[in-house]
Amino acid sequence: MVCTFMQPEPMPISSYVLRYRRWALFGFISVACAIGLGLYIPYILKDVIDGLETGVLDLHGLKKLIGTFLLASVLASVFSILMRRILLGVAHHVEHDIRRDVFARLTILDRGFFQRERTGDIMTKMSSDLFSVKDMIGQGLLQGSRIMIGFPMAFGIMFTINARLALVVMAIIPVISIVFFVIIRLIRKRYDAAQEQFSLISNFCQENFGGFRTVKGFGIEERMKSRFRDLNEKFIDLNMRLTRVEEPVWPFMVFMFGMGTLLLLLAGGRLVIRGDLTLGEFVQFNQYLLYLQWPMLALGWTSNLFQRGIASWKRIGTILNANPDVFDRPDVKPAPPQANGDIVLEDVSFADGESRLINNISLHIPAGQVLGVTGPTGSGKTLLISMMCRLMDPSSGRILLDGRDLRDYPLTALRSRIGLAPQEAFLFSDTLANNIALGLQPSDATSGFPHEEKVLWASGVAHLREDVDQFPQKFSTMLGERGVTLSGGQRQRTAISRAVALDTAVLILDDVFSAVDTQTEAAILAQLLPILRKRTAIVVSHRVSTLKHVDRIIVIDDGRIVQDGTHGELTSRPGYYREQDEMQRLEARLEGDSP
Amino acid sequence: MNEHVESDIPGRLFDRRLLGHMIRYVRPYTRGMLLAFTIIVPLTIMMNYLPLLIRRAIDDYLVPTESLTMADRFGGLISITWIFLGISVVVFFLRFAHGYLMSYIGQRIIFDMRADVFAKIMRLPLRYFDRNPVGRLMTRVGSDVEAMQRLLTDGLIGLATDVFTIIGILGYMIYLSPKLALILIVLFPVLLGILIFLNGKVRAAHREVRKRQSAQNAFLQEMITGMLTIQLFNREEDTRGRFSVFNQRLRDALLHSVKWFSYSFPATEILNALTLTLVLAVGGFMLIQGDPALTIGILIAYLAYLRDFFRPLDDLSEKSNLLQSAMASAERVFALLDTPEEICDPEKPVALDRFRGEVELDHVWFAYNDEQWVLKDVSTRVRSGESVAIVGATGAGKSSIISLISRFYDIQRGSVRVDGRDVREYRQSDLRQRVGVVLQDPFIFSASIADNIRLFNPAISMERVVEAAKYVNAHAFIMARPGGYEEVLHERGAGLSTGQKQLLALARAIAQDPDILLILDEATANVDTETEWLIQDALKKLMKDRTSIIIAHRLSTIRHVDRILVMRHGEIVEQGSHADLIAADGYYKRLYDLLSHQPPGK
Repeated sequence: MVCTFMQPEPMPISSYVLRYRRWALFGFISVACAIGLGLYIPYILKDVIDGLETGVLDLHGLKKLIGTFLLASVLASVFSILMRRILLGVAHHVEHDIRRDVFARLTILDRGFFQRERTGDIMTKMSSDLFSVKDMIGQGLLQGSRIMIGFPMAFGIMFTINARLALVVMAIIPVISIVFFVIIRLIRKRYDAAQEQFSLISNFCQENFGGFRTVKGFGIEERMKSRFRDLNEKFIDLNMRLTRVEEPVWPFMVFMFGMGTLLLLLAGGRLVIRGDLTLGEFVQFNQYLLYLQWPMLALGWTSNLFQRGIASWKRIGTILNANPDVFDRPDVKPAPPQANGDIVLEDVSFADGESRLINNISLHIPAGQVLGVTGPTGSGKTLLISMMCRLMDPSSGRILLDGRDLRDYPLTALRSRIGLAPQEAFLFSDTLANNIALGLQPSDATSGFPHEEKVLWASGVAHLREDVDQFPQKFSTMLGERGVTLSGGQRQRTAISRAVALDTAVLILDDVFSAVDTQTEAAILAQLLPILRKRTAIVVSHRVSTLKHVDRIIVIDDGRIVQDGTHGELTSRPGYYREQDEMQRLEARLEGDSP
Repeated sequence: MNEHVESDIPGRLFDRRLLGHMIRYVRPYTRGMLLAFTIIVPLTIMMNYLPLLIRRAIDDYLVPTESLTMADRFGGLISITWIFLGISVVVFFLRFAHGYLMSYIGQRIIFDMRADVFAKIMRLPLRYFDRNPVGRLMTRVGSDVEAMQRLLTDGLIGLATDVFTIIGILGYMIYLSPKLALILIVLFPVLLGILIFLNGKVRAAHREVRKRQSAQNAFLQEMITGMLTIQLFNREEDTRGRFSVFNQRLRDALLHSVKWFSYSFPATEILNALTLTLVLAVGGFMLIQGDPALTIGILIAYLAYLRDFFRPLDDLSEKSNLLQSAMASAERVFALLDTPEEICDPEKPVALDRFRGEVELDHVWFAYNDEQWVLKDVSTRVRSGESVAIVGATGAGKSSIISLISRFYDIQRGSVRVDGRDVREYRQSDLRQRVGVVLQDPFIFSASIADNIRLFNPAISMERVVEAAKYVNAHAFIMARPGGYEEVLHERGAGLSTGQKQLLALARAIAQDPDILLILDEATANVDTETEWLIQDALKKLMKDRTSIIIAHRLSTIRHVDRILVMRHGEIVEQGSHADLIAADGYYKRLYDLLSHQPPGK
């Protein structure tokens, strides 16, 4: 289990491909054979034409030549099939391997990474960027080898037939290349401009659809529609600018190939009339000219594929090469079997760049204590508990569980000792039971659903069972898009159940009652407190109504502990807690006095 | 939840209903389309004339003949070259003109469709948004519209081009040698059949790939979003295992599609070679027999024609693929466009300048879905300038009342009236512009702070924006920001605290100067005491001298209102001032006890 948190070295892309080198070699051989046969076929055509023209070819000879032609063509196609299947297959294997590694890397990356990277971006990297890389490998290997082998071979043969004619006909290549080069850059520039405008449109739509309550609520649909039209009008302008440079490319290419034929007709025709070139050779030449069309076109396309592939691989690299800040040290030792839940914070600080968000906090939470944490928004409460369950490490100082630095525990072991019910619980589109039993080892359901007893108990503690009993499918209810949508309070209670079900030595509840009404909150606390006291618990809350039940309360302000004591002690001393208590009481009293 | 996750079901190829819909978008560009069609004819004729020229060059000048001198033969060759050049130039321009025209029309069609789809989405009822994630709607406006445009331009015109090219080439071949052409005419259905079969296989394989892709993406997206939860509960190993099943299934589907793709691609080459073999055999035989109808030049021209013949043929079978996926897109887009709007503007809306601000609910019965009544026979009347708070437990129907006044939903029975007229008599946008709603989770646009306040209304001056911000205590925090009022806010107001967003929402509401104010003030976590006070103070000011209905969660808000409506299970059970209601010692009293932080039983 320990090894899952080790950081494997990221591999260069070549090593992904080299794993399939034997297949790639077969692929290259197929490419060479397909090309060789493809270039051999015009020779047969030449013999047929010359034979027919001069009249030396008899029926027997014709049969033989046509037989050879058919055989060569069929063989060429077989190799053509093989080279595609093999080389594109290799690319898909590589794609699979990379995707597997990227996902594995995601599972070890920490909070910092997921805060930096948006889900949509990660998804794009794992889909369209990965496709670009796959295309670079597949089409790159395929077309690359075809160009590298096909181009010089075809040119070489033309050269041996008639060097001068070959040079004349090849005059179109520099023209094509230069125009291509210039125009491709222009196309890319204009394409980028159009894409940029498109993402403006996308964002605009996303906002309007996401904020439809606001848009509709203020009745500003017309205003938004006209803004949308403006954005689109500009998009069309940019697209037409792109079209003006993009649209002529293909007609121009066809025109240039036509010019190749024209040059052959003029120069080659002359040679034929003079008798320096046979008609068969003339036709053969034309066949090679046609054969060269594809690599010339593919050259631009393939180089484009490579550029995109490399850019995409770099983007994928931001995941593959990302390192979590929180990971198992190589010398990490197994955790002791028993955990008491005694927590000590020694001079703990946390800095994000210049700003120190947590300042030298020292704290001892003895096993069995229920500690309340409160303080103004942004004071560092969530940060502090994030460090306690090692979602991040302190910049300085250390946190000890049962006298041992958290960093000396294997992460898996630590997480089975410290449970967290976060502010905003993430629920998976799975059954409610599976969501609650998330942290429990998967097991076969003996009756009903896995861990039935545990799930029932945990949901009872969190007062979720009454709600669940109203669902037709009870605990087998699917959550998420295809299932029911839980209310905020139900989500929080699910999160509590999930954390309680784990039986951890330490349990942290981060503001999990905010969407629960006070009546239910009190009922949950009445059940929860005895359980919490068997462990060590940290309860973050803004509400005095919650905090007055706990054993001890600390107040965090500006990353420091400013107050520490029981509800009784803190209400008798001036300070944030008493202010809160008084304010909440005052509020209540004002209600009573108001006329 | 986004464009990565969407099932892709191909549509039927020729659906008359869909075609009817689509013709509507083509109609404005009929002349352009007709022109594009007309260009195809000279284009294909000229394009395919070139091999014929080469045949003439070969048969007339290259093959030694006694009747012509060397100089004549050179001269003939050169004149053919000139014709060749001329035709090439004309073909170039025709091609370009055709392409440009199609692009232009395509872009205009996209524009029209996009505008319609966007406008339609903006008209859809709220419940549609509840059911359809934003990502799905984005796909409609984005790639679905583009796929449809491709169907109309590339698809229809491309189809025509291919068919014309095939007819053109066949025509030339028949003209050159009817006997050789017979080979092709006999083989044609077989060739097409083989290509269609292979393409069908490729398509089926692609469909499977897309299905698995979408399943994988759905899983992936969820796991990425929930990765920290997975880690906290030590589920990494298990999750990797589950992912690898998706990953392998996708790879296998891809390999399967590569297999058929590998067959289908060289298929054209093989078919070309087979036809060529036959043509060479028959043609060679004819030449050896000395058949006068055939020359060596014709045989060589056939080489070129056969080559050109297979390209559109292959294209044709591939195009059916494109058409099908575009049809699926079209189906989705038109399904969206055909979605009932449920809430419609009246034929002759009542003209509206300002409201006096009287709101009346007259025996209102309302249910989101038919089974459960959310509001049961609710009647109340809010006088102009009166402030009313609605209190009650969650699900009592409080927020429904607010949604009904701004007509986000239509009621089943009774009437909701503003200034004595049913809300259904007003134009929705008129009504909502005069009825301001402050939502508990305000939406921030990625635009400047000023634009967020004025909601892009150019009629609202900068002074008015600042005035509004000052009035609701938002000015101080805005000025403290680096860009002040001109600072461009990020997506969803990232960088602003919840409290600041709420202050901004209040400034926005007041800047629109509504006659009636509806406020959803549910409990919001994460607002510090100071900002909380600023919000409360602003709310107090906002509600003064203006008809306002607030759904209050905190008792401190309720203090200031003229009247409190107490709701329970969709009914108004008590109403009156706070003191009256406390004195009555009814349901409100119990609610009040609950709200004032006294857990019962203590």
